[in-house]
Amino acid sequence: MTEEKLEKPTIEDFSREITRMLGGETITYCYQCGTCASSCPVAKTTDRYNPRQIIRMALLGQRYEVLNGDSIWLCASCYNCQERCPQKVEIADVIYALRNMAIREGNIPALYAEFANGLMSEGRLAPISKFLEKKRSDYGLPPLKPTGVEALKKIFSATGFDKIFFKKGEQP
Amino acid sequence: MEEAKVGVFLSDCGGQISKILDFEALAEFVKKVDGVTFVARSSEFWRGQGLKTITDAVKSGKINRAVVAENVPKISEIVIAKAVEEAGLNPHLVEVLDLKDHCAWPHRDAPSEATEKAKAMLLAAIEKAKLLEPIDKAEFPTVKSVLVIGGGIAGMQAAEDLAEMGFQVHLIEKEPFLGGLAAKAGRFFPTDDCAICIQSPTVDLKTVTHTSRKCVYRSGFSEIPNLNVLTNSKVVKVEGVPGNFKVTLERRPRYVSEEKCVACDLCTSVCPVEVPDDYNAKLSTRKAIYVNKPLVYPAAYVIDEKACKFHECAKCVEVCPAKAIDLDQKTEYVTLNVGSIIVATGFREYNPNVIKEYHYSEYPDVITHLELARMLDAFGPTKGMIVKPSNGKPAKRIVFVQCVGSRDRRWNPYCSSICCMISLKHATLIKTAHPDADVTICYIDIRTTGREHEYYYEKARELGVKFVKGRPAEILHDPATNTLIVEVEDELLRRLLELETDLVVLATAMVPSEETKKLAEILGLELDQDGFFKEYNAKLRPTETKRRGIFLCGGATFPKDAPTASLHAHSAAVKAAKFIMQGKIVKDLKTAVVNEDYCGNCQFCPVTCPYGAITLEPKENKHFVAHVSELLCEGCGICVGTCPVGAIELRHLKQDQIAAQMRALLSVNGTPKPLILAISCSECGNAAVDSSGMAMMNYPANVRVLRVPCTGIVQVRHILEAFKAGAQGVMVVGCKPDGCHYEVGSQKAKKKVELAKMLLNAYGIEPERLEMFNLVYIEGDKFAEAAKNMTEKVEKLGVLQLA
Ligand code: SF4
Ligand code: SF4
Ligand code: SF4
Repeated sequence: MTEEKLEKPTIEDFSREITRMLGGETITYCYQCGTCASSCPVAKTTDRYNPRQIIRMALLGQRYEVLNGDSIWLCASCYNCQERCPQKVEIADVIYALRNMAIREGNIPALYAEFANGLMSEGRLAPISKFLEKKRSDYGLPPLKPTGVEALKKIFSATGFDKIFFKKGEQP
Repeated sequence: MEEAKVGVFLSDCGGQISKILDFEALAEFVKKVDGVTFVARSSEFWRGQGLKTITDAVKSGKINRAVVAENVPKISEIVIAKAVEEAGLNPHLVEVLDLKDHCAWPHRDAPSEATEKAKAMLLAAIEKAKLLEPIDKAEFPTVKSVLVIGGGIAGMQAAEDLAEMGFQVHLIEKEPFLGGLAAKAGRFFPTDDCAICIQSPTVDLKTVTHTSRKCVYRSGFSEIPNLNVLTNSKVVKVEGVPGNFKVTLERRPRYVSEEKCVACDLCTSVCPVEVPDDYNAKLSTRKAIYVNKPLVYPAAYVIDEKACKFHECAKCVEVCPAKAIDLDQKTEYVTLNVGSIIVATGFREYNPNVIKEYHYSEYPDVITHLELARMLDAFGPTKGMIVKPSNGKPAKRIVFVQCVGSRDRRWNPYCSSICCMISLKHATLIKTAHPDADVTICYIDIRTTGREHEYYYEKARELGVKFVKGRPAEILHDPATNTLIVEVEDELLRRLLELETDLVVLATAMVPSEETKKLAEILGLELDQDGFFKEYNAKLRPTETKRRGIFLCGGATFPKDAPTASLHAHSAAVKAAKFIMQGKIVKDLKTAVVNEDYCGNCQFCPVTCPYGAITLEPKENKHFVAHVSELLCEGCGICVGTCPVGAIELRHLKQDQIAAQMRALLSVNGTPKPLILAISCSECGNAAVDSSGMAMMNYPANVRVLRVPCTGIVQVRHILEAFKAGAQGVMVVGCKPDGCHYEVGSQKAKKKVELAKMLLNAYGIEPERLEMFNLVYIEGDKFAEAAKNMTEKVEKLGVLQLA
């Protein structure tokens, strides 16, 4: 039997990995001033989310915790933090980079998986039920145009989006 | 020229290197070289009997050139040159080489190979010596007078030092009063005493002892002999050369005679115009005729041109008992002739408006440190009370915000270095006077690195100042209660706080004074990436600039606290004095010279010379030819490396001398390995070669070093000639690209090497045979390694066949 050894992530490995991601380049500039945390509307409503802390954990190489936790999925992408960060850390973009890394490893919250599956099958993030379509005509809205899902599928296959396995799971 | 009679002096370093090198063989070898008329061997030649052997040979007329193989050539060179000069020989007719560190030590494992290399080195030195020409000295007069620009504490300190040393000093200040930031700051750390308390002049020993410190206005500062203070003045033009600058000043009118004004204050009581007082951060008003308090210098009133109604009113003229007011004064232009210039223009507070979230210009109760300092000053707009500017009511709760616009990559990436201490000083002053005040400092890192500084931090905690680790996101205003709310994360608690407060004090960045850029242009000085004046060398020459005769001190180079600014001022004063004190600069003309017949007016050299030493001068037959200022030229040879037609040469290393050395170094091999020529600069590059030898690091004897002042002199043709003369590989060894002693030389050399590689390729020669190395003294191991690697690489490439 071959013995499998897990590579122990070092501090450098993970932050380097992030800086190589699109949007993750600026993470190492962070000097933990906390401007992002006190600017963040999500952090104001829940202590499950704190952008400074995510960056801190990432810089300390806490790969598993960052990519498997639900924290990174809570960012509202308002870019308040990014506007204000004195070190020009592109925080919201770093969060996107982390999400992309998490997705590659199959850590996708159910809601996002549903969006992705909807896009791939229907060409829409959310399925349009018969009920909804009827409601539209009740309100005098025109029927929805077809989505051109074929064109989308080409994009998905060219970008490799369709190779990602979007499992159904629990919502964060 | 008289025929060359070369004396060769072989030092065996106390018998150390004769264990390795065969000195008999060397002596025999040099004796046979054409032009050698005298050969001597000793254990040392740079002092004692050895040195006398050289000077005796000179005096007897046996020799008119000397080649000395001596340890530590950099030092022995100086001593020997001085001795031969005294003996009647031009000191530039001596060539010193190092057989120990450049030959015996690194090749000690192969003594016979080392001996052969030593022969080549001696031959190169002899061939060069034969071509050496005498170099004269020149004198350039210096005016014993100094201009100090900026009347803050640094400028005043430097001016006082120089005036007391006996130089004529002109201290100019663009504002109507001296004092700079210090006059506004109230108190200074680390003594907490008055900021305008300066070291008072020590000249008049009858009344002032060396223990004295006094307020500027009663220090006797204005009475120092030779000190001419010009306020309301700025530099508009600088001409001339170092040691002899012609400076034009623009002097704005004061409208009040400094000599006549008795400071009775009658004028302000009749002046009808009231304007916001800039000096007090607009927290109060003043009249159109005014004086700043606390009083500094001059103790004379001044009229604010923008506010005064002049002849429409003229009430002050009527009331002045001293008849000191003249409403028709005009701007004057003053010319000064000075030898040195000191720039002491200081720094200023950054306008924090750029950080929109802090609403500085919107909320009156968000202020800066300087505004707080004015409030804390008993002379200030609130007579020492801390109030909310919005309503004048006392401020009981105060929040300080650190790093506003500093350590901020969007505005000023650097740490302004003094703001933590200013906040600690102000917080402790407030808490001491008002123990019930609620004072919080929001910080990213507290930096208290100076002497006594940590005690302030300690004291602040003891007094109950609260510290929150976190940079606030936003300052909000609640109109209902007229309070401010500071949103900040207490990172240590990981909790979002909303601090309610009466007053927010922003510890803003400290940035270069206004008009710094303009002054830099006038003076021909460089600014650093942050906009401050750039020093010549940040580590070792922090008060000098690249332009000789111009010096820097105080906050003009970076924000400084008072002790550091004073130290800096003393240093600049010493440098400025040293530059002019002899009344002349005596210099060996080891400079570049232009052959006017060849110069094609291509304009390459004037832009390349790092010292601005080359100008284009009009001539009758041609339009222009290059002209080298003998005063400014540093003799690096970068121009030589740049000139496409070979019209410019160094007096101390002519092209034929380079060629002769090259041929000689490659004429004898004596090793089984391919010959490699290493062209090294005389600074870091040669130091690395030295240190590899000193540390007895091994590298093969086929590597031969040709020393030039700076690798910037290297031309592509030198490299090609080396290959033609028998080199199988060429190394160019210079300083680090950003540490080049001549600024750009090593970068230029790199480009030449790249170009030469392309050419070699085109000629069918492997470009790997040429390599540039950037080394420093402590990298002797890297030189040895490079020499070994290069040898192996060239060996693998095989013998170079030149058609
Ligand atoms: S605002 Fe920028 S520097 Fe400050 S903690 Fe957030 S990411 Fe780091
Ligand atoms: S972009 Fe995300 S992390 Fe940044 S403030 Fe908005 S929600 Fe918070
Ligand atoms: S030798 Fe150097 S300093 Fe002198 S003129 Fe040439 S480039 Fe300028």
